[in-house]
Amino acid sequence: MAISTEKLTHILQSFVTSTTDIQGAAVVTPDGLPLAASLPGGMDEERVSAMSAAMLSLGDRIGSELARGGIDRIYVEGDKGYGILTSCGEDAVFLVLADKAAKQGLLLLEIKRTLGDLKAVLM
Amino acid sequence: MSLEPNEFMSKMVSRTGFSADDQKTLQAAAAWGLEIAPEMADYFYDYMGRDAEMSVILNESEGRIHRLRETFVSWFHEMFTGMDNWGNAYADRRWRIGLIHVRIGIGPQHVVPAMAVVVHEAGKRAKADGKDQQLCDALSKICMVDLAFIEQAYIEVSSAAVLKETGWSEGLFRRLVATGAAAM
Repeated sequence: MAISTEKLTHILQSFVTSTTDIQGAAVVTPDGLPLAASLPGGMDEERVSAMSAAMLSLGDRIGSELARGGIDRIYVEGDKGYGILTSCGEDAVFLVLADKAAKQGLLLLEIKRTLGDLKAVLM
Repeated sequence: MSLEPNEFMSKMVSRTGFSADDQKTLQAAAAWGLEIAPEMADYFYDYMGRDAEMSVILNESEGRIHRLRETFVSWFHEMFTGMDNWGNAYADRRWRIGLIHVRIGIGPQHVVPAMAVVVHEAGKRAKADGKDQQLCDALSKICMVDLAFIEQAYIEVSSAAVLKETGWSEGLFRRLVATGAAAM
């Protein structure tokens, strides 16, 4: 069955608008191609996608080289907020951009819930 | 991104227009090629040695320059004989020569101008020896094919190392290069 970009976009938009302090989200392929995105204005979707895939596969490599096992997520913490990359099965990477004020427990729960929705569409 | 030498050779032969007539011309002049090869090696390594950075690389270990000169003479002669009619053996040897250049650190920025010197000097020598222009053209074409192997070896080795260390797919790597280049 073909992957529905509309459904993916709808899930992302719903996630971004309904979760407090989320600024954007994207789903990309491991080759760095965008599948769906809801990003802040001014962010280049193509660049963000390539960067997200690059970071997650580099993280996998680091996890393996440093004997950390399989990598669940990569967490980038800056003084303006967070960038969280989560593997979404073998065929996709889920990127979430959150404000510095985001409650991390809530954020991770929402990511987990949304991952389930995304995987259902991607399967 | 592992290069298949024979396939790459076919592409380069087609792109340079290196024809069956060019091959015959070179093979007919193989003895002359062998005769002038040591002189061309002198031009090549004299030119390279004038660069301080290259001089260090060429003389890094005892006997390296001597071995490189010997390899050059064989390489130059093989451009005329074509080894196996410019087939698999020829392509494999060109690929290995490319890898050796990468390993010892002789980059395209050094090889390209040095190769231009060889083409120029071989042309002068051909004229002095009464050879016709067709020979110079054929030699020039096969030199460019060989040069492409050396340049491609740098790209292949660098890319393979990045892919191995990062776990990136080839598609992702190409995308990053393209977006990076666009941002420059």
